[in-house]
Amino acid sequence: MTAIAIGRLLRANTTGCVMGCRLSQTTTPAFGEMVRIPLDDGTKIYGLVHEIFIDDDGLVRQLVSSEVSSEVIEDNRQNRNVPIEISVVFVGWENASGQVFHTRIPTPPLALDEIFRCDGREIQHFTSGNRPGYLRALLRNEEIPAVDLVTAHLKQVLSVSNAADAAEWRDQFLNEIIALLKDDYPQLMDILTAISTVIE
Amino acid sequence: MNPQESRFNLNISDPENSVIGYVIGGGLKANLFVRLTVPAYEVQEGGFVVLESGNWQFYGLVTDLQLGALDPRYAEMQNAGRLSDSITRRLTSQTLYTNLEVLPALMLERGPEPGTAEYERWRKSLLQEPHPIPIKTVPAHHAAVRLASAGDVAEIFGNPQEKGKFEIGRTREQDHPVCIDLDKFVQRSSGIFGATGTGKSFLTRILLAGLIQHNAASVLILDMHNEYGFDDTASDTGKSVVGLRSKFPGRVRVVGLGRETKIRNHTPDFHLEIHESDIQPEDIELLTRELNLRETTPTTLDALVHHFGPQNWFREFRQMVVGSVVETDDGKKTPAPDSVAFWAKQAGVNETAAEGLRSKLTRVFNRKYILPDEEKAPLNSLREIIELLRNGKDVVLSFGDFESDLDYLLVSNLLTRKIREAWEEMTNNFRGKGEKEPRPLVIAVEEAHKILNREMASQTTFSTIAREMRKYYVTLLIIDQRPSQISDEVMSQLGTRVSGWLGDENDIAAVLSGLAGRDALRGMLARLQPKEEVLLLGWGVPMPILVRSRRYDEVFWQQLLGKDDRLTDDQAMKDLGY
Repeated sequence: MTAIAIGRLLRANTTGCVMGCRLSQTTTPAFGEMVRIPLDDGTKIYGLVHEIFIDDDGLVRQLVSSEVSSEVIEDNRQNRNVPIEISVVFVGWENASGQVFHTRIPTPPLALDEIFRCDGREIQHFTSGNRPGYLRALLRNEEIPAVDLVTAHLKQVLSVSNAADAAEWRDQFLNEIIALLKDDYPQLMDILTAISTVIE
Repeated sequence: MNPQESRFNLNISDPENSVIGYVIGGGLKANLFVRLTVPAYEVQEGGFVVLESGNWQFYGLVTDLQLGALDPRYAEMQNAGRLSDSITRRLTSQTLYTNLEVLPALMLERGPEPGTAEYERWRKSLLQEPHPIPIKTVPAHHAAVRLASAGDVAEIFGNPQEKGKFEIGRTREQDHPVCIDLDKFVQRSSGIFGATGTGKSFLTRILLAGLIQHNAASVLILDMHNEYGFDDTASDTGKSVVGLRSKFPGRVRVVGLGRETKIRNHTPDFHLEIHESDIQPEDIELLTRELNLRETTPTTLDALVHHFGPQNWFREFRQMVVGSVVETDDGKKTPAPDSVAFWAKQAGVNETAAEGLRSKLTRVFNRKYILPDEEKAPLNSLREIIELLRNGKDVVLSFGDFESDLDYLLVSNLLTRKIREAWEEMTNNFRGKGEKEPRPLVIAVEEAHKILNREMASQTTFSTIAREMRKYYVTLLIIDQRPSQISDEVMSQLGTRVSGWLGDENDIAAVLSGLAGRDALRGMLARLQPKEEVLLLGWGVPMPILVRSRRYDEVFWQQLLGKDDRLTDDQAMKDLGY
């Protein structure tokens, strides 16, 4: 089955990117969801959605204050000129040989590159075999809501893993978080409290 | 699953050879610090641990366990309601920890991995087989730490199957036998200490039984409380306690002080009676505190010896009368010829001082075991004791009903003085004339502080023995509950020290005096289990170690003497020389 792109890249650096996509309740990725950007050389860049921004324009402002039919509302939602902006923080990459790295990406993707949601197999591939080394980049990044993002990501990974793998990965994940944040008591307790609501 | 395990998610270690932690810091002076990776209850103070670092193996003693936290808030906050169980468990295991403080004692070169070419090269380069040496360096950071295995304990303390290695107890955690080297033990004076009720007497019996069985030295036991010779009943449990005479009938002789003395309703092998001529001024001077003698005493005694000779002074003085007068022709009263004053005037000694001394010595003169020379017994029991000891027998001198300090001080010092003279003569003959080498002798002294306290130590033969008789084959085994009362000079000479629980700070300091790492060992002594645990220290043991002491029971005797735990009649007769 051929995957359908959810959007195209607007701007990027080696830390993250912003993509634009059409408004749709079904195709828009959720906060914390893992996405991938395949490059021409076979490299795949993986990231997590950490912000979804819906901008307004003059027409929307007019419609908000007018009495219009539901058909007009729906038409303006689906056919807007202003895209939804989705911010992604990169968590690692995969080379053409399929080897996964939980490090900063070598080069940023180019504008208008396509972005795809990751399916369960891809998530398992990215998260298996290594300890979750990308947590370091997430937890040290002060520009993203790390606590909620990590919790949402954990929830997604657990939902696509079988029970045995999930338990092992969860333990590694918790160990890594505690190891990274053990000297920051408030931050660690925040994140562990949030995670507690997910894994119990 | 053990609750502790589930809560802290720590590895329950395999009791043999599994790692319990890793070195995180420390030094030779400040001890080593080890991060524990197993639950704290698996390791106890006093545990014998091995640290493996490169080609070296280090041996040490756990002297403290400390709880720690990366941030105090992790320890202060209980997260059970806030976090899930699995998260709480993981958080606890990574943020809360236990550190061990290890007193390093010995190190042993073990070389590269056996079977490798490096190992073979290393073996060939050795001039002698590696053996444990006092610690000179420290293991590296993250060196693995494990509890000592039976092999490690045997490497350091010897194997109980080896001749001369006597199992005195077992390691507390893993129950490995800990031995002392009896041949080394008898080379220097030693001490057994512990507060009352901590099992000193049982431990002493165990050690004495080992010494007698090993037969490397004769043993003289000054048994003030009649405990060691014949079977006794334990004061706390009411159970029967086997005496050394019962188990070594061919080797041990029980000597009772005084004629017709019975020991625990048994008739001793013979009685010790002292002749007047045996008593010398130094035996009296030793009683200065006991008899409240004055500083004029040495002068008076000196005059007595000068006047009557060393053999007769005591008898003559005993026969003198205080205050006896005769009336002269002119009606004047003058000292009678049998009076103390008469002699004092003749000898130029202060009459009052002489009369005072005579009065105070009445307690000595009245001892029933001091016989007038004309009542000499057919057996010279003092000489007999020395002959027995010289010929490889062991003697328990029981004081019977003469349990006062006066009796103990007088008799034990007198006997020891005679022994000292005999052994010095034997040693000089051995060295100068090539005669037979003297048999080593261990004198076990109960209530040692009575004769080895600071005030009296310089006057008694015992302190001389502790200081210098090692060269003459005589050493002491001091048994006491107040080591702080014993002279520092004597304590400093003790080779092996075996100590049970001590409560008094001064006593603990005395037992540890002169030893490396005494600060670390101090708390350990105060926290020993009464009646069960002892700390082995000093020159006679390779390193300090805490052991659960052996029980003095039938099992002990069976292990020591074999299935038939009493020496056979044939063996007994052989021991007697028939």
